Amino acid sequence: MGIAYLKGTRVIACTWGWAGSWAGSILADMGAEVIKVESRRKLDNNRWHFKLGVTGGVNSGEFNFTNRGTKSITLNMRKPGAVKIFKELTKISDVIITNYTPRVMPSWGLGYDVLKAVKPDIILVSLPGFGSSGPNKDYVAYGPTIQAASGMTFSHGHVGEGPILAGANPADPAGGMWGVLGVVAALNYRARTGLGQNVDVAQSEGITAYLPELIMEYTMNRTISPRMGNRDEIMAPHSIYPCKGKDKWVAIAVGTDEEWDVLCQVAGKPDLSKDERFADQYSRWQNQDQLDKLISDWTKDFTHYEIMNMLQKAGVAAGASLNVEELINDPHVKERGVYIEQNHPEAGKSIVFRSPWTSALTAANPPAPCLGQHNDYVFKTLLRMSDSEITKLTEEEIIY
Amino acid sequence: MFYKVLDGVKVIEFGHLISGPFCAKILADLGAEVIKIEDPCGDEARKQEPFLGGVAGLERSGLFLYLNMNKKVITLNPETETGRRIFTQLLSNADIFVENNSQKKMKHLKFTYTQVKKINPRIIMTSITPFGQTGPYKDYKGGELVMTEMGGVGFLSTRELDTSRAPIKYPAHLFSHQAGLSAAVATLGALLYHHGTNSGEQLDISEQECVIPDVMNPVYSYSYTKRIASRAGPLSVAPHHLLPCKDGYIHNGFVREEHWRKFVDEVMGHPAWADKEIFKDYQTRAKHWDELKPLILEWTMPRTVDEIYRTSQEHRIPIGAVYSPEQVLQDRQMAARGFFVEIDSHVTGNLKYPGVPYIFSDIPKEAPTAAPTLGQNNEEIYCTRLGYTKSDLVKMEEAGII
Repeated sequence: MGIAYLKGTRVIACTWGWAGSWAGSILADMGAEVIKVESRRKLDNNRWHFKLGVTGGVNSGEFNFTNRGTKSITLNMRKPGAVKIFKELTKISDVIITNYTPRVMPSWGLGYDVLKAVKPDIILVSLPGFGSSGPNKDYVAYGPTIQAASGMTFSHGHVGEGPILAGANPADPAGGMWGVLGVVAALNYRARTGLGQNVDVAQSEGITAYLPELIMEYTMNRTISPRMGNRDEIMAPHSIYPCKGKDKWVAIAVGTDEEWDVLCQVAGKPDLSKDERFADQYSRWQNQDQLDKLISDWTKDFTHYEIMNMLQKAGVAAGASLNVEELINDPHVKERGVYIEQNHPEAGKSIVFRSPWTSALTAANPPAPCLGQHNDYVFKTLLRMSDSEITKLTEEEIIY
Repeated sequence: MFYKVLDGVKVIEFGHLISGPFCAKILADLGAEVIKIEDPCGDEARKQEPFLGGVAGLERSGLFLYLNMNKKVITLNPETETGRRIFTQLLSNADIFVENNSQKKMKHLKFTYTQVKKINPRIIMTSITPFGQTGPYKDYKGGELVMTEMGGVGFLSTRELDTSRAPIKYPAHLFSHQAGLSAAVATLGALLYHHGTNSGEQLDISEQECVIPDVMNPVYSYSYTKRIASRAGPLSVAPHHLLPCKDGYIHNGFVREEHWRKFVDEVMGHPAWADKEIFKDYQTRAKHWDELKPLILEWTMPRTVDEIYRTSQEHRIPIGAVYSPEQVLQDRQMAARGFFVEIDSHVTGNLKYPGVPYIFSDIPKEAPTAAPTLGQNNEEIYCTRLGYTKSDLVKMEEAGII
């Protein structure tokens, strides 16, 4: 691991917000050179959201987190001169990734057909909320609206109660990862055939693809699955139990009768394993309400880490419900090098995390770019523009 | 398959339940040949709900049918000597080996990466475990509930005003699937890198680390302010809630004041109460939510999800349609993209499935094939490919080898 899979691959990122930006960051973690096209005319709204402790420049914690490892140029894409430069950059690039609303790039005269004419084997991966085709393609797509349409929101909630808002937005990281899949799949295809591709990924479908049980229950049986809270179809105990302290919880999932016996031993209640109400998985599942009360009576006197470690060491699945501080400082997470501290020239020190697999590269990758930080590198070095050309383009607010 | 992207790529899957099989499914969907090795009793996922017709059976699990479409399936017991030989033979011809077993099990079977590398130095071995191959929790057990909480995303959900209620995990096995996808992405990166070489590697995928990216805002927020995000954090621009309507729910994900104003003026037709002082901005609306909510519901309840959704979206207002599974299947947008597919099999009849969330512009879309029945491809693989006879198969089955 830590090999630069995509070394030598150049990606143009027309991205904003979380999903598209993070896809660019993952590609940078894989060794690609990712150039994000920005403009002062309309900043990625993450640059001004959530400013938090950032004192310099146009930056924010969120931007730095999601654009780690990428480069930035400023190009005012409304101007024909900028579109011309974009095409020149396309000629020397391998991939363009975008999560703009579908009408945007074509409105600049940069639809896939045009890009293909400029560079026949270009790979364009589009990552809109609902897809680049279809009647709802230009619908406003934030995490919650995407999740709602995917079917996730409806099924999320306590047993016997209505749907409830999640506290995080899985649509964005899922969408980002499906987007990267589109890139690596198309790169593999190109390596074998020499052909480019436009891969269009719908973020909403990306979440539905994670929830087959809900769909299949309906397609097979015309039944809408009830909200399950923390419960399972058959495992019991299977829930989240209160521990010592405020808002401290541990998840426990017992899959077999053997594991149940082990839990009873660990809890110092060997008689419980002989209790008829809980003697086999079906009985435990049927008597969950009573079972959960008994388990809670035990867990509440221990910390969540204590319960987790006691049970796991004995072979039972348990996990502390980690808040962000605990997550960053968890001994396992620390040893795996998931989080690293980065120093950003304008935004100062912050914690970022690596992609789910590479380790060495993330540490070596620079923090997120300042606005237009790589203008010189891209326009002068890569595109070989002269100083006077660049001055003129800046005056005309094309480089802007 | 759905698209012939990975033509010629050979994958052996030794997976069970979700993360390993979903990783391999993604490769199969893209045209790789995936041979899934199942225990003679079958993958545990065959015993997971939902079942066709509400009746359990090895060929009736909706989850298994989805995860294992486009694959070939053989039964094999690698604990037997003959089983080991066959396993070794299969690995020697493969490009990719996907497995989501514990390290202990792979060690016991003598198919660790060190051993697999000797069989086939070119192979990419994608190993998915709850916590990875290293670290103090490397032998800990996982599962959807545990991974959600250990990944930090569990603690944040669902939004509660009262944190004496436990966090609630996401529906079904959302994060187990995300682990499979993340593994597939890394695998294809490795495939590209090693293409044409004699080298391979092992990918160490930790399911916990595949959940962790979902915790984003809280991390940088903590970096700068040491604030620990909680389920009871402030709700956003009120009314930022799930609101019932005639046939379901809508979600108003209003981010800016103008969204509320447009909704009230253009979509709701500016009701008289809209001008009240107590509803003038996000703070006052949040404070007076108990008075505001019934007024809004008076308007939403006679209207359907789609009516409100489409009208609002046409005005560029971020309203979400909280679709039930039934409504997702009827969604005109997903229909236009051909997201749902029908697959016929002699066992299940014609069934509709979620397809793939991507469209390739210049590759024709193919028809996916149904998940095989237990041992369906035994004859094809053992006899046609590996040279065993039909009576060998009978004996091996009797001896518990397949």
